[in-house]
Amino acid sequence: MTSRVAGVRKWANLPLLLTVALLLLYGAVVVHSAISGFSAGSAMFQRQLFGMALGFVALALMWTLDYKRLEGWLGPLVVFNALLIVSPRIPGLGGEAKGATAWLEIAGVRLFQPSEPAKLVTIVIMAIVISQFKGVIERPRDVMRVLAYLALPFGLILLQPDLGTGLVFIAITMGVLLVGGVKPKWFLVFALVGVIGVGVIFKGGFLAQYQEDRLLVFIQPDRDPRGAGYNLEQSKIAIGSGGLTGKGLGQGTQSNLNFLPERHTDFIFSVLGEELGFTGSVMLLGLYLALLMTALEISTSSRDLFGSLIAVGLISMWTFQILQNMGMTMGLMPITGIPLPFMSFGSSFMITNLAGTGMLLSVWARRSGV
Amino acid sequence: MATFHERLKPRYAALGILFLSVLGVLLVRAWSMQVLSGDRFAAAAENNRVREITVDAPRGRILDRNGEPLVTNRATLGVTVSPSVKEDEEMLYRLSVVLDMPLADVLERVTSTREAALKPRLVALDVPMPTVAYLAEHQSEFGGVEVSVVPVREYPHGVLAAHVLGYTGEISEESLNSGEMEGYVLGDLVGKSGAERQFESVLRGEKGYRRVEVDAVGSPRHVLEEAEPVAGRDVVLTLDLKVQQVAEEALLGALAEARADDFKNARAGAAVAVDVRTGEVLAMASVPTYDPALFIGGISMRDWEALNAKDSEYPLNNRAIQAAYPPASTFKAITGMAGLEYGVTSLGHSYYCEGRWTGMGEEWSKFCWNRRGHGRIRFTRGVADSCDVVFYEIGYEFYKRDREELQAFSRRFGIGSPLGIDLPGEVAGRVPDAAWKAEFNANYPEYRQWLPGDTVNMAIGQGDLLTTPLQMVAAFAGIANEGNVMRPHVLKEVLDSKGEAVRSYEPEVAFAAEVSPETLRAMHNSLLAVTESGTGVSAFRGFGARVAGKTGTAEVAGKDDYAWFTAYAPADDPRYAVAVVIEQGGHGGAVAAPAAREILAVLLGLPVEHVQATDVSR
Repeated sequence: MTSRVAGVRKWANLPLLLTVALLLLYGAVVVHSAISGFSAGSAMFQRQLFGMALGFVALALMWTLDYKRLEGWLGPLVVFNALLIVSPRIPGLGGEAKGATAWLEIAGVRLFQPSEPAKLVTIVIMAIVISQFKGVIERPRDVMRVLAYLALPFGLILLQPDLGTGLVFIAITMGVLLVGGVKPKWFLVFALVGVIGVGVIFKGGFLAQYQEDRLLVFIQPDRDPRGAGYNLEQSKIAIGSGGLTGKGLGQGTQSNLNFLPERHTDFIFSVLGEELGFTGSVMLLGLYLALLMTALEISTSSRDLFGSLIAVGLISMWTFQILQNMGMTMGLMPITGIPLPFMSFGSSFMITNLAGTGMLLSVWARRSGV
Repeated sequence: MATFHERLKPRYAALGILFLSVLGVLLVRAWSMQVLSGDRFAAAAENNRVREITVDAPRGRILDRNGEPLVTNRATLGVTVSPSVKEDEEMLYRLSVVLDMPLADVLERVTSTREAALKPRLVALDVPMPTVAYLAEHQSEFGGVEVSVVPVREYPHGVLAAHVLGYTGEISEESLNSGEMEGYVLGDLVGKSGAERQFESVLRGEKGYRRVEVDAVGSPRHVLEEAEPVAGRDVVLTLDLKVQQVAEEALLGALAEARADDFKNARAGAAVAVDVRTGEVLAMASVPTYDPALFIGGISMRDWEALNAKDSEYPLNNRAIQAAYPPASTFKAITGMAGLEYGVTSLGHSYYCEGRWTGMGEEWSKFCWNRRGHGRIRFTRGVADSCDVVFYEIGYEFYKRDREELQAFSRRFGIGSPLGIDLPGEVAGRVPDAAWKAEFNANYPEYRQWLPGDTVNMAIGQGDLLTTPLQMVAAFAGIANEGNVMRPHVLKEVLDSKGEAVRSYEPEVAFAAEVSPETLRAMHNSLLAVTESGTGVSAFRGFGARVAGKTGTAEVAGKDDYAWFTAYAPADDPRYAVAVVIEQGGHGGAVAAPAAREILAVLLGLPVEHVQATDVSR
């Protein structure tokens, strides 16, 4: 008996599996509440469950796949990543959503958003490239090499345009660089480049009007409460009005009366905050803490730097998305279309997060001392 | 093998600290929003989803004493324009073409500052269906323009009794801020004058409201709470539609006749008829009049200015209660009774009128209206023929007694103070006395002294004496009612929704003059002689009832004479009293008395006929 449990423990990280299971359950409950008012609500919910099922398949595949085998595929992965990102632009394959070409479509059937798996591929690419430096990145040309691998997917994703995913790519790169051994002074350089980059993006006309509005509204929330500031204002009202214990599942007025925009995707936390209150927020943050802690444990227990950095990339991706998504619903971050891991409605996103979990398990199963 | 772990340990720690800080910041933010500011956001969420829609209560109707509607309500289609589009002249021009009204009028209404800043301005009422359809089809081209059903006041009899009924309008910001008008909000319709204002609290009813849950685009999801409006109550006035009609026609007829008869400035007048026993006002007319319908949906600036222009004779004034005139010889009824009561004169006292009176000395001589003189004359004929000399003598006696008894006696009949009629704006008039004169001329020491001529002039209803038509009719009604001046009123009763009276006006004595029956009888007989053999005889020749009345012809500085007639009838069992004033109309017996005759005729059920009368008395 004990030996069997020990045998399972050898390759399965039970805290991680439990945490992810609870997050999925929590997400399903809140999404169900958010979409129950939609006319297509039950069909949407089935689609979400189907996405989870596909996600479990992806998780299992990634788990069984020895991550070490990816290390030799840098070139093909870079090409594959680029193809993923530009695929919606290929005539006959693309579909539009909210001004961005984000969907892979074949014969009018939406398959998935390629930008989601591209995040995972980018993590693997960064882990390969940075682990090659064995934890010491000092020379500018080494840094430049890393940044070059970032520049390709980042540039291509900006053409969609999908600034949110681009920022995720940057967050992944920065996280992996941090643990991967880059000299701290480089972060000063990155910060400087970031500031200049923001300036160029603003002044250079790279932003669509709606994106510029969103950023300006973030800086000055009451700028246009009926227009661009509306989403933020309504989201804050929803979360704040939840109080300590919330209005109860399905009882959120901000949510059910459509004051909340995109309530089942980007603003799912606003629904959670309104209906489950501060108690619900604490529960969610607790689950995220457990997720990130176990991921960090897996990272430090990896037998090699490559596997460790894959985990670091996942931690960076999730941390940034949690900060960006919850932060934007509470007015701490500007509004960008970044969903909340394991919670937001959307199959491609769900599959990606579960596949990422599979990669963590793959690293864990092959850790040192097993 | 695992060397990198040791070497990179601080970096893993940094990553851990990084995500711990992120989660910590989010936790603090959630705490601050949900726990610390939860109430504020909860209120904002409530404010988002709950809309309170008030439902205006239908305003009560105003009926005449027989239940004939004088003011009712109707629903009509109106076009409103939001003031936010007042700059869009191009669109407003197109709208003016569609509505077939001058652009200037549209602009004036949209930019009106007489209404709440954000409230849509009513631009057109009674909009025909094709126009409504056109606006509905071209909605996108007419931003800020809306067609809605507007409840408005309706006046089935047009301008009839406009002064008594009054008009309605949007509550002014001043009265809102004054605190008197509780429960009102900007934009509410209130009575602005007349009965509409006086009985506002009864007519308005109670607003209903509906608290609805709305979604983000404002469409109602369901009703949370509602209260039906309670309709305002119908008010029954003491006015009699038929009498009112005759009174107004008689006034207009008298004015037309005066103008035809060389009194070109005769443009204004008033008439009042009351029940002598109850004080009920059966008719109250004032000329010139106005159309209360002009105020529906807000009066235009041009109409408002026209109603208040210097040369307009101020049609909004209800002259019956708001104008104070010298009562002239009609006042001799009061002076005469005072003389009898105080023993200053008697029925047997003999006077001699040679046309000129020098009782105060040669240099202060005064004339009787009849320059040839009435010769030897006693009290009754003195009243009947309106002999000024008789009343100069009486007035002079009062002056010499120096007790201001004439003033005190006048006040016992309600002269000089408001009678308390249930209409807004009643003025007091003036009974002049020594104290008043001293104060009035405080800055002119040489005029502060009360002089013999002051009392003498007052005795014939001139000088500084001023009365409203209502005061004179009430005083005459008092003579007919054993010296009890009933409080004049226009409210008969208030009806509930089933038409049952829930409140009735209880008649009350406003002034008990406490005059001896002998004095009343003597005056009664004298007033009868006026219409039967005196100055009013030609106006009442062939009238089917005996009338006790008095003519008056008031001198007003810089104006033509004002014609007065005040009377009550039938003489044997008096029921009704009437007063008529025609500003700059000439002689009372010639101009005012025939009008009074017509009003008395309709009151007494006699044929209403217009007679040509002559009178040269003052």
